[in-house]
Amino acid sequence: MSKRTFVHIFQFFIFMAVQILLVRNVVLFNTAFCYIYIAFLLFLPIQMPRVALLLMAFLTGLTVDIFYDTVGINAAACVLLAFLRPYVLLVLTPRDDYEKNDTINLHVMGWRWFTVYALFLVFIHHLALFFLELGSFREVGFTMAKVVLSTLLTYLVLIIIQLLFFSVRRSGR
Amino acid sequence: MRNLFAFIYRYRGFLVFLLLEILCAYLIIKNNSYQGAAFYNSANAYAGRVLEFQREVFDYFRLVEVNQALVAENKALKESLTNIMLSDKLDSIPPTPDSGYRVKPDSLALAQQKMDTSGVVRTFKFVPGKVIKNSVSLVNNHLLLNVGRADGIEPGMGVVSGSGVIGRVKAVSQNYSTIYSMLHSQMLVSAKVRRTNTVGTIRWEGDNYRVATLDYIPRHIKLAKGDTVVTSGYNAVFPEGIMIGRVLSVQQEPDKMFMTVKVRLAVDFDNLSYVYVIKNTRQAERDSLEARSGIKENE
Repeated sequence: MSKRTFVHIFQFFIFMAVQILLVRNVVLFNTAFCYIYIAFLLFLPIQMPRVALLLMAFLTGLTVDIFYDTVGINAAACVLLAFLRPYVLLVLTPRDDYEKNDTINLHVMGWRWFTVYALFLVFIHHLALFFLELGSFREVGFTMAKVVLSTLLTYLVLIIIQLLFFSVRRSGR
Repeated sequence: MRNLFAFIYRYRGFLVFLLLEILCAYLIIKNNSYQGAAFYNSANAYAGRVLEFQREVFDYFRLVEVNQALVAENKALKESLTNIMLSDKLDSIPPTPDSGYRVKPDSLALAQQKMDTSGVVRTFKFVPGKVIKNSVSLVNNHLLLNVGRADGIEPGMGVVSGSGVIGRVKAVSQNYSTIYSMLHSQMLVSAKVRRTNTVGTIRWEGDNYRVATLDYIPRHIKLAKGDTVVTSGYNAVFPEGIMIGRVLSVQQEPDKMFMTVKVRLAVDFDNLSYVYVIKNTRQAERDSLEARSGIKENE
């Protein structure tokens, strides 16, 4: 139990509160939704054990589901995100491997690394989320528009959070 | 055996992933059936309290709108009450015994008396509730009300507002209830066009929250833009004649049996504050009769 663990627990509650109390009502042009709570999963430590990550993703998704009345849908999308995250991190490994105290931080890892990492995972999450919500493949065009615009909106908010709250120094927040 | 454990350990990430996704799929399918477990939706006490707190804060910013809606509803009620009073034979009201002249009769008592004779009030009771969660932009929208089992709410009851049909109760907890909004992909309401008495089904397409579709209107019926669509009263959930909306457009497509009718919903779902849950006191009788005669199968 280090200081970092507490930072992540703190982040969980903050992102949940923001998602449920504020962002739930934000929909731009009736298509762009913001699911900022997945920032909690995206910002977890790089060396996070897989099984723990999956279980946390499930609980995170289920918590949001309860408030959205969409039982299982957010949870399924989050578990998918958590499953793919280690592979994405593996593919994006810098030439001389991750350093011991590397964190998911825009300033530390650089713009290009962060953009690929965040955009891909957010896109996968939203793709799963919106098609599961639809429950079928009718209206594919409209749903794809929702996926793409929501991905951009969530990514934008992720960047803003990174720039505002994450320090340039190496050790996280 | 050791190999088996080694195998499980090696692929534990994938196996846990698979297990959790299957669990999610189970939850999604189970929740789509009519009566989901009440804990997993916002009607559970903890989620309800959080959302109620949020609503209390947000309500301060829209007090004016809420008041205007309530005043409008009050005005409509007052007008209909006056109509009832004027239409009735005033002479049938006996004069107050201790006064020589006839005082103006109590309009509420009069309306009550009139409704009693037509049996409306006895069949349907209205429980007022406040909307504490609402959405219009998801594919399946739900509402959360601050009334629950303690107020006599049960799953399956209808929900209306001053301006029209809202939805149907999905699940209840002690103090909260989750409502299928009309804006839910699986919510169907039996409706009829008031002018022609044609019966159809109202269904939401999932894009625009002000517009729904009226299905099963035969091609020979002449509908006009602006025709009123109301509930049919063919099921026990809604009384007959509750406003749903007005016909927005009628299209005849050559390859279809029925017309494509778009209806503009009377209720602005983006702006709900107080609604009423309808309790049908004769639902049990009606259901058992229909079950006995084989019309309706036991669910």
